[in-house]
Amino acid sequence: MKSNVVIFYLLTAFFLIMGCIYIGWTIAATGQLEWAGALTIVLSGALTGFVGFYFDRVNRAQGGIMPADRVDADIDDGDPEIGQFSPWSWWPMFMAACLGVVIVGACVGFWIAFFGLPLLLIAIVGWVYEYYRGNFAR
Amino acid sequence: MGCVTATSIIPKATTPTLNRPNTVAVGTIVWLGSEVMFFAGLFAIYFTLRSMAPELWDFETSKHNFTFALINTLILVSSSLTCQFGVFAAERLQNRSTGWKPNQWGMVEWFFLTYALGAIFVSGQVWEYATLVSEGVTLSSNAYGSAFYLTTGFHGLHVTAGLVAFLLVIGRAFAVKTFGHKEATSAIVVSYYWHFVDVVWIGLFFVIYVLK
Repeated sequence: MKSNVVIFYLLTAFFLIMGCIYIGWTIAATGQLEWAGALTIVLSGALTGFVGFYFDRVNRAQGGIMPADRVDADIDDGDPEIGQFSPWSWWPMFMAACLGVVIVGACVGFWIAFFGLPLLLIAIVGWVYEYYRGNFAR
Repeated sequence: MGCVTATSIIPKATTPTLNRPNTVAVGTIVWLGSEVMFFAGLFAIYFTLRSMAPELWDFETSKHNFTFALINTLILVSSSLTCQFGVFAAERLQNRSTGWKPNQWGMVEWFFLTYALGAIFVSGQVWEYATLVSEGVTLSSNAYGSAFYLTTGFHGLHVTAGLVAFLLVIGRAFAVKTFGHKEATSAIVVSYYWHFVDVVWIGLFFVIYVLK
């Protein structure tokens, strides 16, 4: 990650220098500032500066060398903790169907949505509490 | 028997444990980024219509009850504070209170208080809408009415969705056997959403009631 930081800061310096050259050159050639190009180049420098700053902060905060920066690391050393994911579930599909009914109601006639909204509520509650009840309750 | 040495047969991890950002939190922030763009569109509608009809704005904004809107705003801002105290409790993995004093409250108590404040805000909005409609400002009355109800209405819908989210998180705290990191994470990301909605309202309040 250290090298990412350096690359993005180098890009920032490049864009800022090129922006100055571009602004000077267009003023010398046409007598006025060319806004579109000047803004694009200088703000590209701002963009890479932000990304580099973010990487720098992450690099300092993580408390170690990233596996990607080590020769002896394995690929799965870099896996983050991704939390709990359901292996399979009907709830997202049911929820999509309920949302479909609500959208049809909004397009065709709003009375249809009154049938979809309670079902949508059931779908949300069912999805949120899927692993809080029954066999797999936490 | 001299000294006995035991060598661990478990190989040491080659890399230190890394402090990665929580993926749920990152995903929530990315989604909130898209929400920012949604509200940016609504602000653009408001500013465009205002620049087209400044005299209409002069006429209609005089019907505002500034004091009422200010109090309602302060209620919503204070709900962000109580929400954050709930997050601090969730980060201690404390879901229920250990005493009556607020510094002994758990996440559930703070989130119920936040819910009440948010519900007062939404009720205040409904009351304000009713008053304005009785004064002839409706969604279809003119450009000002459309801009006002679209911006504040979509914000009100977001607050209402946030109230539902608080109930779901509180329900999880009651349903779970041991309050752990998963429950704390859902509490934290709901607080992100709530703070976002709060900040949007501060922007709306400033634009609609102060700048006019």
